[in-house]
Amino acid sequence: MKQPDRLSGRTYRTRRIDVTRWIFVAPAMAVVICLLIYPLCSTVLYSFTNKTMIKDTFKIVGLKNYIDILKDESFYKAFGNTLKWTVGSVLGQVLVGFTGAICLNQVKNAWAKSTFRILCIIPWAFPAIATAMVWKWILNGIYGFLPTMLVDLGITEQMLQFFSDKNLVMPTLMGINIWFGAPLIMVNVYAALQTIPQDQYEAAQIDGASKFQSFRHITVPHIRTVVGLLIVLRTVWVFNNFDIIYMITGGGPAGASTTMPIFIYDTGWTGRLVGKASAASIMLLIFLVILTVLYFKVINHWEKEDR
Amino acid sequence: MKKLKKIGPSTVFSYVFLTVLAIVCVFPLLWLLVSAFKSSNEMLANPTAFLPKDWTWENFKTVLFTLKFTVNIKNSVIVALWTTVIATFISCLAAYGIIRFFPKLGNIMTRILITTYMFPSIMLVIPYAVVMKTLGLTNTRVGLVLVYMSFSVPYAVWMLVGFFKTVPIGIEEAARIDGANRLMVFTKIVLPLVRPGIVSTAIYVFINAWNEFLYALLLVSSSDKTTLSVAVKTLEGADILNWGSMMAASAIVVLPSIFFFCLIQNKLAGGLADGAVK
Repeated sequence: MKQPDRLSGRTYRTRRIDVTRWIFVAPAMAVVICLLIYPLCSTVLYSFTNKTMIKDTFKIVGLKNYIDILKDESFYKAFGNTLKWTVGSVLGQVLVGFTGAICLNQVKNAWAKSTFRILCIIPWAFPAIATAMVWKWILNGIYGFLPTMLVDLGITEQMLQFFSDKNLVMPTLMGINIWFGAPLIMVNVYAALQTIPQDQYEAAQIDGASKFQSFRHITVPHIRTVVGLLIVLRTVWVFNNFDIIYMITGGGPAGASTTMPIFIYDTGWTGRLVGKASAASIMLLIFLVILTVLYFKVINHWEKEDR
Repeated sequence: MKKLKKIGPSTVFSYVFLTVLAIVCVFPLLWLLVSAFKSSNEMLANPTAFLPKDWTWENFKTVLFTLKFTVNIKNSVIVALWTTVIATFISCLAAYGIIRFFPKLGNIMTRILITTYMFPSIMLVIPYAVVMKTLGLTNTRVGLVLVYMSFSVPYAVWMLVGFFKTVPIGIEEAARIDGANRLMVFTKIVLPLVRPGIVSTAIYVFINAWNEFLYALLLVSSSDKTTLSVAVKTLEGADILNWGSMMAASAIVVLPSIFFFCLIQNKLAGGLADGAVK
Protein backbone atom coordinates (compact mmCIF):
# COMPACT_ATOMS: atom_id res chain seq x y z
CA MET A 1 0.00 0.00 0.00
CA LYS A 2 2.61 2.47 1.13
CA GLN A 3 5.26 1.15 -1.18
CA PRO A 4 7.38 4.31 -1.67
CA ASP A 5 7.47 5.11 2.04
CA ARG A 6 8.63 1.67 3.00
CA LEU A 7 11.26 1.68 0.30
CA SER A 8 12.72 5.00 1.29
CA GLY A 9 12.46 4.02 4.92
CA ARG A 10 14.46 0.93 4.23
CA THR A 11 17.25 2.65 2.37
CA TYR A 12 17.48 5.25 5.08
CA ARG A 13 17.74 2.60 7.72
CA THR A 14 20.33 0.49 5.93
CA ARG A 15 22.53 3.49 5.48
CA ARG A 16 22.34 4.36 9.17
CA ILE A 17 23.01 0.80 10.29
CA ASP A 18 26.02 0.77 8.02
CA VAL A 19 27.55 3.56 10.07
CA THR A 20 26.56 2.28 13.52
CA ARG A 21 27.84 -1.21 12.86
CA TRP A 22 31.28 0.17 12.16
CA ILE A 23 31.16 2.27 15.33
CA PHE A 24 30.76 -0.97 17.31
CA VAL A 25 33.88 -2.63 15.95
CA ALA A 26 36.05 0.43 15.30
CA PRO A 27 37.74 0.73 18.74
CA ALA A 28 38.70 -2.94 18.78
CA MET A 29 39.99 -2.65 15.23
CA ALA A 30 42.06 0.35 16.26
CA VAL A 31 43.59 -1.73 19.06
CA VAL A 32 44.43 -4.57 16.70
CA ILE A 33 45.90 -2.23 14.09
CA CYS A 34 47.86 0.08 16.41
CA LEU A 35 49.00 -2.42 19.00
CA LEU A 36 49.44 -5.60 16.98
CA ILE A 37 49.71 -5.01 13.25
CA TYR A 38 51.74 -1.81 13.38
CA PRO A 39 54.36 -3.24 15.81
CA LEU A 40 54.63 -6.35 13.65
CA CYS A 41 55.32 -4.20 10.59
CA SER A 42 57.88 -2.08 12.37
CA THR A 43 59.62 -5.19 13.71
CA VAL A 44 59.88 -6.50 10.16
CA LEU A 45 61.31 -3.12 9.12
CA TYR A 46 63.79 -2.96 12.02
CA SER A 47 64.98 -6.46 11.25
CA PHE A 48 66.50 -5.13 8.02
CA THR A 49 68.22 -2.19 9.71
CA ASN A 50 71.07 -1.54 12.12
CA LYS A 51 68.79 0.17 14.63
CA THR A 52 69.94 0.28 18.26
CA MET A 53 68.25 1.35 21.48
CA ILE A 54 70.57 4.32 21.86
CA LYS A 55 70.31 6.17 18.53
CA ASP A 56 67.13 7.19 16.72
CA THR A 57 68.73 7.07 13.28
CA PHE A 58 69.36 3.85 11.44
CA LYS A 59 70.00 2.60 7.95
CA ILE A 60 68.99 -0.42 5.94
CA VAL A 61 71.49 -3.24 6.11
CA GLY A 62 69.57 -5.88 4.16
CA LEU A 63 69.79 -9.42 5.44
CA LYS A 64 72.83 -8.79 7.63
CA ASN A 65 70.95 -9.31 10.92
CA TYR A 66 69.53 -12.61 9.75
CA ILE A 67 72.93 -13.80 8.58
CA ASP A 68 74.52 -12.70 11.87
CA ILE A 69 71.96 -14.69 13.81
CA LEU A 70 72.39 -17.79 11.70
CA LYS A 71 76.13 -17.59 12.37
CA ASP A 72 75.60 -17.06 16.10
CA GLU A 73 76.15 -20.21 18.09
CA SER A 74 74.12 -19.00 21.04
CA PHE A 75 71.09 -18.71 18.72
CA TYR A 76 71.19 -22.43 17.99
CA LYS A 77 71.57 -23.19 21.66
CA ALA A 78 68.63 -20.95 22.53
CA PHE A 79 66.54 -22.50 19.79
CA GLY A 80 67.37 -26.01 21.00
CA ASN A 81 66.50 -25.01 24.55
CA THR A 82 63.19 -23.56 23.37
CA LEU A 83 62.30 -26.81 21.64
CA LYS A 84 63.17 -28.84 24.74
CA TRP A 85 61.29 -26.44 26.99
CA THR A 86 58.21 -26.43 24.76
CA VAL A 87 57.99 -30.14 23.99
CA GLY A 88 58.75 -31.16 27.57
CA SER A 89 56.35 -28.70 29.15
CA VAL A 90 53.44 -29.24 26.77
CA LEU A 91 53.72 -33.03 26.82
CA GLY A 92 53.89 -33.01 30.60
CA GLN A 93 50.97 -30.61 30.94
CA VAL A 94 48.80 -32.63 28.58
CA LEU A 95 49.70 -35.93 30.22
CA VAL A 96 49.03 -34.73 33.77
CA GLY A 97 46.03 -32.60 32.82
CA PHE A 98 44.45 -35.31 30.71
CA THR A 99 44.90 -37.99 33.37
CA GLY A 100 43.52 -35.58 35.94
CA ALA A 101 40.44 -34.92 33.81
CA ILE A 102 39.75 -38.62 33.24
CA CYS A 103 40.14 -39.28 36.97
CA LEU A 104 37.91 -36.35 37.87
CA ASN A 105 35.29 -37.79 35.54
CA GLN A 106 35.44 -41.08 37.45
CA VAL A 107 34.77 -39.40 40.78
CA LYS A 108 31.03 -39.60 41.39
CA ASN A 109 30.80 -37.89 44.75
CA ALA A 110 29.84 -34.29 44.02
CA TRP A 111 31.58 -32.86 47.08
CA ALA A 112 34.84 -34.65 46.35
CA LYS A 113 34.62 -33.62 42.72
CA SER A 114 34.33 -29.92 43.38
CA THR A 115 36.97 -30.01 46.14
CA PHE A 116 39.50 -31.68 43.85
CA ARG A 117 38.62 -29.24 41.10
CA ILE A 118 39.11 -26.15 43.22
CA LEU A 119 42.36 -27.42 44.73
CA CYS A 120 43.84 -28.48 41.41
CA ILE A 121 42.98 -25.18 39.78
CA ILE A 122 45.11 -23.13 42.18
CA PRO A 123 48.38 -23.15 40.19
CA TRP A 124 46.52 -21.67 37.21
CA ALA A 125 45.68 -18.62 39.32
CA PHE A 126 49.32 -18.06 40.26
CA PRO A 127 50.86 -14.91 38.81
CA ALA A 128 54.17 -15.70 37.13
CA ILE A 129 56.10 -13.75 39.74
CA ALA A 130 54.58 -15.72 42.60
CA THR A 131 55.18 -19.01 40.77
CA ALA A 132 58.81 -18.08 40.28
CA MET A 133 59.42 -16.90 43.81
CA VAL A 134 57.69 -19.71 45.64
CA TRP A 135 59.48 -22.39 43.62
CA LYS A 136 62.78 -20.60 44.03
CA TRP A 137 62.20 -20.78 47.76
CA ILE A 138 60.98 -24.39 47.85
CA LEU A 139 63.94 -25.52 45.72
CA ASN A 140 66.51 -23.15 47.27
CA GLY A 141 69.90 -24.84 47.40
CA ILE A 142 70.65 -23.96 51.03
CA TYR A 143 67.38 -23.65 52.95
CA GLY A 144 64.87 -24.97 50.43
CA PHE A 145 62.15 -27.37 51.61
CA LEU A 146 62.59 -30.02 48.93
CA PRO A 147 66.40 -30.34 48.84
CA THR A 148 66.51 -30.42 52.66
CA MET A 149 63.73 -33.00 52.72
CA LEU A 150 65.53 -35.19 50.20
CA VAL A 151 68.69 -35.12 52.30
CA ASP A 152 66.78 -35.77 55.54
CA LEU A 153 65.05 -38.76 54.00
CA GLY A 154 68.39 -40.08 52.75
CA ILE A 155 67.37 -39.95 49.10
CA THR A 156 70.20 -37.66 48.09
CA GLU A 157 73.49 -37.18 49.90
CA GLN A 158 73.94 -33.53 49.08
CA MET A 159 71.56 -30.65 48.70
CA LEU A 160 70.42 -30.66 45.09
CA GLN A 161 71.14 -27.41 43.26
CA PHE A 162 68.06 -27.32 41.06
CA PHE A 163 68.78 -23.97 39.43
CA SER A 164 72.56 -23.82 39.27
CA ASP A 165 73.22 -27.35 38.05
CA LYS A 166 73.19 -27.11 34.27
CA ASN A 167 71.77 -30.60 33.84
CA LEU A 168 68.99 -30.08 36.35
CA VAL A 169 67.89 -26.59 35.43
CA MET A 170 65.80 -27.34 32.32
CA PRO A 171 63.92 -30.33 33.79
CA THR A 172 63.24 -28.26 36.90
CA LEU A 173 61.86 -25.35 34.90
CA MET A 174 59.73 -27.72 32.85
CA GLY A 175 58.41 -29.29 36.03
CA ILE A 176 57.39 -25.88 37.33
CA ASN A 177 55.73 -25.11 34.02
CA ILE A 178 53.85 -28.41 34.11
CA TRP A 179 52.67 -27.56 37.62
CA PHE A 180 51.44 -24.23 36.34
CA GLY A 181 49.84 -25.40 33.09
CA ALA A 182 48.30 -28.81 33.81
CA PRO A 183 45.19 -27.36 35.57
CA LEU A 184 44.12 -25.46 32.46
CA ILE A 185 44.28 -28.65 30.39
CA MET A 186 42.50 -30.61 33.10
CA VAL A 187 39.58 -28.20 33.41
CA ASN A 188 39.08 -27.87 29.67
CA VAL A 189 39.38 -31.58 28.93
CA TYR A 190 37.00 -32.29 31.79
CA ALA A 191 34.50 -29.84 30.29
CA ALA A 192 34.87 -31.55 26.91
CA LEU A 193 34.26 -34.95 28.52
CA GLN A 194 30.92 -33.68 29.81
CA THR A 195 29.72 -33.09 26.25
CA ILE A 196 29.92 -36.78 25.35
CA PRO A 197 26.44 -38.32 25.38
CA GLN A 198 26.37 -40.97 28.10
CA ASP A 199 24.13 -43.35 26.12
CA GLN A 200 26.94 -44.01 23.68
CA TYR A 201 28.92 -45.66 26.46
CA GLU A 202 25.89 -47.64 27.54
CA ALA A 203 25.31 -48.82 23.98
CA ALA A 204 28.97 -49.81 23.67
CA GLN A 205 28.77 -51.72 26.92
CA ILE A 206 25.75 -53.65 25.73
CA ASP A 207 27.62 -54.51 22.55
CA GLY A 208 30.37 -55.93 24.72
CA ALA A 209 33.04 -53.29 24.15
CA SER A 210 35.87 -53.20 26.65
CA LYS A 211 36.66 -50.07 28.66
CA PHE A 212 39.67 -49.43 26.48
CA GLN A 213 37.63 -49.86 23.30
CA SER A 214 35.00 -47.38 24.37
CA PHE A 215 37.75 -44.96 25.37
CA ARG A 216 39.43 -45.38 22.00
CA HIS A 217 36.29 -45.17 19.85
CA ILE A 218 33.98 -42.88 21.84
CA THR A 219 36.04 -40.67 24.16
CA VAL A 220 38.99 -39.94 21.90
CA PRO A 221 37.04 -38.88 18.79
CA HIS A 222 34.79 -36.66 20.87
CA ILE A 223 37.46 -34.67 22.65
CA ARG A 224 40.41 -34.72 20.29
CA THR A 225 39.50 -31.41 18.62
CA VAL A 226 39.43 -29.63 21.95
CA VAL A 227 42.61 -31.34 23.09
CA GLY A 228 44.26 -30.48 19.77
CA LEU A 229 43.31 -26.85 20.11
CA LEU A 230 44.54 -26.80 23.69
CA ILE A 231 47.85 -28.19 22.53
CA VAL A 232 48.13 -25.45 19.88
CA LEU A 233 47.38 -22.70 22.39
CA ARG A 234 49.69 -24.13 25.03
CA THR A 235 52.51 -24.65 22.53
CA VAL A 236 52.34 -21.04 21.40
CA TRP A 237 52.15 -19.79 24.98
CA VAL A 238 55.03 -21.91 26.28
CA PHE A 239 57.14 -21.18 23.21
CA ASN A 240 56.84 -17.43 23.75
CA ASN A 241 56.99 -17.52 27.51
CA PHE A 242 59.53 -15.12 28.92
CA ASP A 243 58.41 -14.50 32.49
CA ILE A 244 58.97 -17.81 34.23
CA ILE A 245 62.50 -18.46 32.97
CA TYR A 246 63.58 -14.83 33.23
CA MET A 247 62.41 -14.57 36.83
CA ILE A 248 63.82 -17.88 37.98
CA THR A 249 67.17 -18.25 36.26
CA GLY A 250 67.46 -15.32 33.84
CA GLY A 251 68.67 -17.89 31.29
CA GLY A 252 71.51 -19.26 33.39
CA PRO A 253 73.62 -21.00 34.44
CA ALA A 254 75.86 -20.12 31.48
CA GLY A 255 72.99 -20.04 29.02
CA ALA A 256 71.76 -23.53 29.97
CA SER A 257 68.17 -22.25 30.22
CA THR A 258 68.29 -19.45 27.65
CA THR A 259 65.29 -19.84 25.37
CA MET A 260 64.47 -17.69 22.34
CA PRO A 261 62.55 -14.95 24.22
CA ILE A 262 65.47 -14.64 26.67
CA PHE A 263 67.92 -14.58 23.75
CA ILE A 264 65.90 -11.77 22.14
CA TYR A 265 65.80 -9.88 25.43
CA ASP A 266 69.57 -10.24 25.89
CA THR A 267 70.20 -9.06 22.34
CA GLY A 268 67.70 -6.21 22.20
CA TRP A 269 67.65 -4.84 25.74
CA THR A 270 70.93 -5.81 27.35
CA GLY A 271 72.91 -5.66 24.09
CA ARG A 272 70.75 -2.86 22.67
CA LEU A 273 70.85 -4.34 19.16
CA VAL A 274 67.26 -3.71 18.12
CA GLY A 275 67.87 -4.77 14.51
CA LYS A 276 69.26 -8.16 15.43
CA ALA A 277 66.65 -8.74 18.14
CA SER A 278 63.88 -7.91 15.65
CA ALA A 279 65.28 -10.35 13.12
CA ALA A 280 65.35 -13.05 15.80
CA SER A 281 61.73 -12.25 16.76
CA ILE A 282 60.61 -12.54 13.16
CA MET A 283 62.34 -15.90 12.80
CA LEU A 284 60.65 -17.08 15.98
CA LEU A 285 57.28 -15.92 14.71
CA ILE A 286 57.74 -17.58 11.31
CA PHE A 287 58.58 -20.86 13.01
CA LEU A 288 55.47 -20.58 15.18
CA VAL A 289 53.25 -19.77 12.20
CA ILE A 290 54.48 -22.83 10.31
CA LEU A 291 53.95 -24.99 13.37
CA THR A 292 50.44 -23.66 13.96
CA VAL A 293 49.46 -24.13 10.32
CA LEU A 294 50.57 -27.76 10.55
CA TYR A 295 48.62 -28.25 13.77
CA PHE A 296 45.49 -26.78 12.21
CA LYS A 297 45.84 -29.05 9.18
CA VAL A 298 45.61 -32.01 11.54
CA ILE A 299 42.72 -30.55 13.55
CA ASN A 300 40.74 -29.67 10.43
CA HIS A 301 41.31 -33.18 9.16
CA TRP A 302 39.83 -34.53 12.42
CA GLU A 303 36.89 -32.18 12.17
CA LYS A 304 36.12 -33.42 8.65
CA GLU A 305 36.33 -37.01 9.85
CA ASP A 306 33.90 -36.28 12.65
CA ARG A 307 31.31 -34.95 10.25
CA MET B 1 27.72 -55.32 45.22
CA LYS B 2 28.50 -56.33 41.67
CA LYS B 3 28.50 -52.70 40.59
CA LEU B 4 30.87 -51.73 43.37
CA LYS B 5 33.35 -54.36 42.31
CA LYS B 6 33.21 -53.20 38.73
CA ILE B 7 34.00 -49.56 39.37
CA GLY B 8 36.43 -50.38 42.17
CA PRO B 9 40.00 -50.19 40.84
CA SER B 10 39.61 -47.24 38.50
CA THR B 11 37.80 -45.20 41.15
CA VAL B 12 40.48 -45.97 43.70
CA PHE B 13 43.18 -44.98 41.23
CA SER B 14 41.30 -41.76 40.46
CA TYR B 15 41.08 -40.79 44.10
CA VAL B 16 44.74 -41.56 44.71
CA PHE B 17 45.89 -39.67 41.61
CA LEU B 18 43.71 -36.65 42.32
CA THR B 19 44.77 -36.55 45.98
CA VAL B 20 48.44 -36.52 45.01
CA LEU B 21 47.77 -33.95 42.31
CA ALA B 22 45.82 -31.76 44.71
CA ILE B 23 48.61 -31.87 47.28
CA VAL B 24 51.23 -30.92 44.68
CA CYS B 25 48.97 -28.14 43.42
CA VAL B 26 48.23 -26.66 46.83
CA PHE B 27 51.54 -27.15 48.60
CA PRO B 28 53.35 -24.13 47.08
CA LEU B 29 50.51 -21.83 48.10
CA LEU B 30 50.50 -23.14 51.65
CA TRP B 31 54.27 -23.02 51.87
CA LEU B 32 54.26 -19.46 50.59
CA LEU B 33 51.72 -18.44 53.23
CA VAL B 34 53.34 -20.14 56.21
CA SER B 35 56.78 -18.87 55.19
CA ALA B 36 55.45 -15.33 55.11
CA PHE B 37 54.59 -15.64 58.82
CA LYS B 38 57.91 -17.09 59.96
CA SER B 39 60.78 -15.09 61.40
CA SER B 40 63.98 -15.36 59.39
CA ASN B 41 65.79 -17.17 62.24
CA GLU B 42 63.14 -19.81 62.35
CA MET B 43 63.19 -20.31 58.59
CA LEU B 44 66.92 -20.87 58.47
CA ALA B 45 67.07 -22.98 61.62
CA ASN B 46 64.44 -25.45 60.56
CA PRO B 47 63.84 -25.43 56.80
CA THR B 48 61.34 -28.29 56.72
CA ALA B 49 59.08 -27.40 59.66
CA PHE B 50 55.67 -26.60 58.29
CA LEU B 51 53.89 -24.28 60.71
CA PRO B 52 55.69 -21.31 62.26
CA LYS B 53 56.35 -21.58 66.00
CA ASP B 54 55.69 -17.89 66.48
CA TRP B 55 53.44 -16.28 63.94
CA THR B 56 54.77 -12.87 63.04
CA TRP B 57 53.54 -9.97 60.92
CA GLU B 58 57.10 -8.65 60.70
CA ASN B 59 57.60 -9.69 57.06
CA PHE B 60 54.44 -7.95 55.93
CA LYS B 61 55.39 -4.81 57.83
CA THR B 62 58.84 -4.78 56.21
CA VAL B 63 57.39 -5.22 52.74
CA LEU B 64 54.57 -2.74 53.06
CA PHE B 65 56.24 0.06 54.96
CA THR B 66 60.04 -0.26 54.81
CA LEU B 67 60.04 -1.31 51.17
CA LYS B 68 57.09 0.95 50.28
CA PHE B 69 55.01 -1.74 48.61
CA THR B 70 51.89 0.29 49.28
CA VAL B 71 52.94 2.50 46.34
CA ASN B 72 53.29 -0.49 44.04
CA ILE B 73 49.99 -1.93 45.17
CA LYS B 74 48.35 1.37 44.29
CA ASN B 75 50.02 1.36 40.86
CA SER B 76 48.94 -2.20 40.15
CA VAL B 77 45.36 -1.48 41.18
CA ILE B 78 45.18 1.68 39.05
CA VAL B 79 46.68 0.06 35.97
CA ALA B 80 44.64 -3.14 36.28
CA LEU B 81 41.37 -1.30 36.93
CA TRP B 82 41.73 1.10 34.00
CA THR B 83 42.76 -1.75 31.73
CA THR B 84 39.70 -3.69 32.82
CA VAL B 85 37.25 -0.83 32.32
CA ILE B 86 38.55 0.26 28.92
CA ALA B 87 39.18 -3.22 27.53
CA THR B 88 35.79 -4.51 28.64
CA PHE B 89 34.02 -1.52 27.12
CA ILE B 90 35.80 -1.83 23.78
CA SER B 91 35.34 -5.59 23.71
CA CYS B 92 31.63 -5.52 24.51
CA LEU B 93 31.01 -3.23 21.57
CA ALA B 94 33.18 -5.35 19.30
CA ALA B 95 31.76 -8.71 20.36
CA TYR B 96 28.18 -7.50 19.86
CA GLY B 97 29.13 -5.86 16.57
CA ILE B 98 30.68 -9.05 15.28
CA ILE B 99 27.74 -11.23 16.28
CA ARG B 100 24.99 -8.94 14.96
CA PHE B 101 26.46 -7.03 12.04
CA PHE B 102 29.38 -9.12 10.82
CA PRO B 103 28.28 -12.71 11.42
CA LYS B 104 30.41 -13.99 8.58
CA LEU B 105 33.47 -12.43 10.17
CA GLY B 106 33.20 -14.78 13.15
CA ASN B 107 35.48 -17.47 11.79
CA ILE B 108 37.96 -15.04 10.29
CA MET B 109 38.04 -13.29 13.64
CA THR B 110 38.96 -16.50 15.45
CA ARG B 111 41.87 -16.92 13.03
CA ILE B 112 43.03 -13.35 13.53
CA LEU B 113 42.91 -13.76 17.29
CA ILE B 114 44.92 -16.97 17.16
CA THR B 115 47.41 -15.22 14.90
CA THR B 116 47.84 -12.25 17.22
CA TYR B 117 48.12 -14.68 20.12
CA MET B 118 51.26 -15.97 18.43
CA PHE B 119 53.02 -12.61 18.52
CA PRO B 120 55.71 -12.94 21.19
CA SER B 121 55.39 -10.11 23.70
CA ILE B 122 59.16 -9.79 23.63
CA MET B 123 58.78 -8.91 19.93
CA LEU B 124 56.01 -6.35 20.49
CA VAL B 125 57.77 -4.61 23.33
CA ILE B 126 60.55 -3.16 21.17
CA PRO B 127 58.22 -1.16 18.88
CA TYR B 128 56.14 -0.21 21.94
CA ALA B 129 59.24 1.21 23.61
CA VAL B 130 60.10 3.21 20.49
CA VAL B 131 56.58 4.63 20.09
CA MET B 132 56.22 5.36 23.80
CA LYS B 133 59.43 7.35 23.72
CA THR B 134 58.15 9.40 20.76
CA LEU B 135 54.83 10.04 22.48
CA GLY B 136 56.46 10.78 25.81
CA LEU B 137 54.60 7.91 27.47
CA THR B 138 57.64 5.99 28.68
CA ASN B 139 57.54 5.45 32.41
CA THR B 140 53.84 6.35 32.74
CA ARG B 141 50.87 4.34 33.88
CA VAL B 142 48.85 5.64 30.92
CA GLY B 143 51.37 4.06 28.56
CA LEU B 144 51.12 0.78 30.40
CA VAL B 145 47.32 0.73 30.24
CA LEU B 146 47.47 1.41 26.49
CA VAL B 147 49.91 -1.43 25.94
CA TYR B 148 47.82 -3.79 28.06
CA MET B 149 44.99 -3.42 25.52
CA SER B 150 47.12 -5.50 23.15
CA PHE B 151 46.51 -8.71 25.07
CA SER B 152 43.28 -7.80 26.90
CA VAL B 153 41.07 -6.80 24.00
CA PRO B 154 41.58 -9.81 21.69
CA TYR B 155 41.04 -12.23 24.54
CA ALA B 156 38.03 -10.38 25.94
CA VAL B 157 36.40 -10.18 22.52
CA TRP B 158 36.89 -13.90 22.11
CA MET B 159 35.31 -14.65 25.48
CA LEU B 160 32.46 -12.19 25.01
CA VAL B 161 31.52 -13.44 21.54
CA GLY B 162 30.66 -16.73 23.24
CA PHE B 163 28.39 -14.94 25.72
CA PHE B 164 26.71 -12.58 23.24
CA LYS B 165 25.86 -15.54 21.01
CA THR B 166 23.38 -16.68 23.65
CA VAL B 167 21.14 -13.60 23.28
CA PRO B 168 18.22 -14.54 21.03
CA ILE B 169 17.82 -12.14 18.14
CA GLY B 170 14.02 -12.29 18.56
CA ILE B 171 14.15 -10.18 21.72
CA GLU B 172 16.09 -7.50 19.93
CA GLU B 173 13.72 -7.47 16.97
CA ALA B 174 10.75 -7.11 19.29
CA ALA B 175 12.37 -4.08 20.90
CA ARG B 176 13.19 -2.60 17.52
CA ILE B 177 9.56 -2.90 16.49
CA ASP B 178 8.63 -1.08 19.67
CA GLY B 179 10.76 1.79 18.46
CA ALA B 180 14.06 1.32 20.24
CA ASN B 181 17.15 2.24 18.27
CA ARG B 182 20.26 0.08 17.90
CA LEU B 183 22.11 1.70 20.75
CA MET B 184 19.13 1.42 23.12
CA VAL B 185 18.70 -2.23 22.22
CA PHE B 186 22.34 -2.78 23.00
CA THR B 187 22.47 -0.93 26.32
CA LYS B 188 19.00 -1.66 27.67
CA ILE B 189 18.40 -5.21 26.50
CA VAL B 190 21.52 -7.01 25.38
CA LEU B 191 23.99 -5.82 28.02
CA PRO B 192 21.82 -6.74 31.05
CA LEU B 193 21.27 -10.20 29.57
CA VAL B 194 24.97 -10.95 29.25
CA ARG B 195 25.99 -9.22 32.46
CA PRO B 196 27.31 -12.39 34.15
CA GLY B 197 29.47 -13.07 31.12
CA ILE B 198 30.75 -9.51 31.06
CA VAL B 199 31.60 -9.66 34.75
CA SER B 200 33.65 -12.83 34.35
CA THR B 201 35.41 -11.44 31.31
CA ALA B 202 36.22 -8.26 33.21
CA ILE B 203 37.60 -10.27 36.11
CA TYR B 204 39.74 -12.29 33.75
CA VAL B 205 41.11 -9.13 32.15
CA PHE B 206 41.82 -7.75 35.62
CA ILE B 207 43.74 -10.87 36.67
CA ASN B 208 45.87 -10.77 33.53
CA ALA B 209 46.66 -7.09 33.91
CA TRP B 210 47.42 -7.58 37.61
CA ASN B 211 49.80 -10.43 36.80
CA GLU B 212 51.53 -8.85 33.79
CA PHE B 213 55.29 -8.62 34.09
CA LEU B 214 57.27 -8.10 30.89
CA TYR B 215 55.79 -4.78 29.72
CA ALA B 216 55.84 -3.34 33.22
CA LEU B 217 59.48 -4.38 33.57
CA LEU B 218 60.64 -2.88 30.30
CA LEU B 219 58.41 0.15 29.81
CA VAL B 220 58.35 1.55 33.34
CA SER B 221 61.64 2.21 35.06
CA SER B 222 61.09 4.36 38.12
CA SER B 223 60.20 2.43 41.25
CA ASP B 224 57.35 4.77 42.24
CA LYS B 225 55.50 4.01 38.99
CA THR B 226 56.12 0.32 38.72
CA THR B 227 53.65 -2.47 39.42
CA LEU B 228 53.73 -5.18 42.07
CA SER B 229 55.15 -8.00 39.96
CA VAL B 230 58.18 -5.96 38.97
CA ALA B 231 58.60 -4.64 42.50
CA VAL B 232 58.73 -8.22 43.82
CA LYS B 233 61.35 -9.09 41.23
CA THR B 234 63.50 -6.10 42.17
CA LEU B 235 63.26 -7.15 45.83
CA GLU B 236 65.67 -9.92 44.91
CA GLY B 237 68.46 -7.42 44.51
CA ALA B 238 67.75 -5.66 47.79
CA ASP B 239 70.18 -6.07 50.66
CA ILE B 240 67.55 -6.59 53.28
CA LEU B 241 66.06 -9.48 51.37
CA ASN B 242 65.07 -12.46 53.36
CA TRP B 243 62.83 -15.18 52.05
CA GLY B 244 60.14 -14.37 54.58
CA SER B 245 59.69 -10.87 53.15
CA MET B 246 59.83 -12.30 49.67
CA MET B 247 57.02 -14.71 50.50
CA ALA B 248 55.01 -11.94 52.15
CA ALA B 249 55.39 -9.85 48.99
CA SER B 250 54.40 -12.83 46.84
CA ALA B 251 51.38 -13.42 49.05
CA ILE B 252 50.24 -9.87 48.37
CA VAL B 253 50.39 -10.57 44.61
CA VAL B 254 48.93 -14.05 44.65
CA LEU B 255 45.96 -13.70 47.00
CA PRO B 256 43.88 -11.22 44.97
CA SER B 257 44.56 -13.27 41.87
CA ILE B 258 43.37 -16.49 43.52
CA PHE B 259 40.33 -14.76 45.00
CA PHE B 260 39.15 -13.44 41.64
CA PHE B 261 40.04 -16.68 39.93
CA CYS B 262 37.81 -18.67 42.27
CA LEU B 263 34.94 -16.31 41.48
CA ILE B 264 35.06 -17.13 37.80
CA GLN B 265 36.46 -20.65 37.74
CA ASN B 266 33.15 -22.14 36.61
CA LYS B 267 32.96 -19.81 33.63
CA LEU B 268 36.46 -20.58 32.44
CA ALA B 269 35.79 -24.22 31.80
CA GLY B 270 34.23 -24.97 28.49
CA GLY B 271 34.74 -21.46 27.18
CA LEU B 272 37.37 -22.88 24.93
CA ALA B 273 35.11 -25.59 23.64
CA ASP B 274 32.28 -23.18 22.76
CA GLY B 275 34.23 -20.19 21.60
CA ALA B 276 36.94 -21.62 19.46
CA VAL B 277 35.70 -24.77 17.84
CA LYS B 278 33.18 -23.23 15.48
